[in-house]
Amino acid sequence: MVELNILNKRYWGKRALENISLCLPRGEIVGLFGENGAGKTTLMKCILGLLPFEGTVTLDGKPVTRKNIASFSFATSEHSFFPNLTAQAHRDFYALHFSHFSDQRFRSLMDFFSLPMHQTIRTFSTGQKNQFEVILALSQGADYILMDEPFAGNDLFNREDFYKVLSGILEPHETLLLSTHLIEEVSGFIGRAILLRRGTLAGDLSVDDLEESGKSLVDAIKEAYHYRADRVSRAIGELSGEEGEK
Amino acid sequence: MKKERFEQNCIPPGFPFSSELTYFTMGSLCAALYSLRFVLDYWNARCALFRQNPLTGEWVLEEGAQIASFSEILGSALNGFLILACSMLFFAALHYQFHFRGSRSIYLMRRLPDRWELHRRCLAGPVLGILICAVAAGMLFLLYFAVYRFATPQECLSPLGGELYGRA
Repeated sequence: MVELNILNKRYWGKRALENISLCLPRGEIVGLFGENGAGKTTLMKCILGLLPFEGTVTLDGKPVTRKNIASFSFATSEHSFFPNLTAQAHRDFYALHFSHFSDQRFRSLMDFFSLPMHQTIRTFSTGQKNQFEVILALSQGADYILMDEPFAGNDLFNREDFYKVLSGILEPHETLLLSTHLIEEVSGFIGRAILLRRGTLAGDLSVDDLEESGKSLVDAIKEAYHYRADRVSRAIGELSGEEGEK
Repeated sequence: MKKERFEQNCIPPGFPFSSELTYFTMGSLCAALYSLRFVLDYWNARCALFRQNPLTGEWVLEEGAQIASFSEILGSALNGFLILACSMLFFAALHYQFHFRGSRSIYLMRRLPDRWELHRRCLAGPVLGILICAVAAGMLFLLYFAVYRFATPQECLSPLGGELYGRA
């Protein structure tokens, strides 16, 4: 289990994350939601130790260090592969460094997405690059798979494929923390939603509980963010009023 | 084979190593060529020890003539290697920066179980380059010193030069 305890992060004195405490047990698919700048990426980077922070992040009671870092994989929209290497070379690199790397999963996913093994990644389209980034994260053999906007730039069909793959191949011990703005698309496949707002934890919702209460995930998120449904019509009304006065 | 292994293990993955190798080879050649100015300076200093007999046309050693010290003649002849070694620091920085180009592969490198992998791949090449520069400069230093020591008439060697090779 991953535990975050009173995690705080500041950039040049400006608050990025404040008092974040939560647990990520094994085997969950968790959605991480929040507006741009809410701290989703920062939170993931803190978990991975890529950024310094205050507070603690532990994996099964131990701090995250090089000894247990292989339990985490990371797929980011910024991409973390080597653009000048081929997929085959990445496979070799990962197999060398991650003892639980799953060659079988890697090859199956490469086949599924019809990605070439002997072509440098920089020649891939944006969608293919995203697919490859996700394939690496899924094949690393990590128990905790962190994905930060992995579908940015992918079309709907591509994303549909992703969801099918993710829900189909994840083992019971694998946890997926998925940061995305596509709430409706992932609502049918996540089990829990963590909401961030301006660096603070705005909500931690169980999708099962929501279903029981008859509330949709989107509505629950809107509620947590105090979303004002009438703000668009009011703004349009005000604007058209102004124009009318002119 | 060794070059391939070095490239696979000690250079950032996907880094254009052959360009770097070409730069280093060319730099080494230039540094070695520049160091030849010692030969020219030494030759001039050595020639100054002799004077030509106007009657016979024969070159004879001038009485009491002393050659300039080794360090004076060497001057900046080996500085090319120093510059090349310093440029290795730039390459080290370039290797780190390479992990931010086209992607953020730095995220992968920083979460590898082997904490030294990133630094090994970024620093091994430049450190090796600095070592090669040091060895090449050292060998040329010894060679030029041997030339200075054995090609100069004993009586013309300066006392400091004499101390250097145990004549004092």
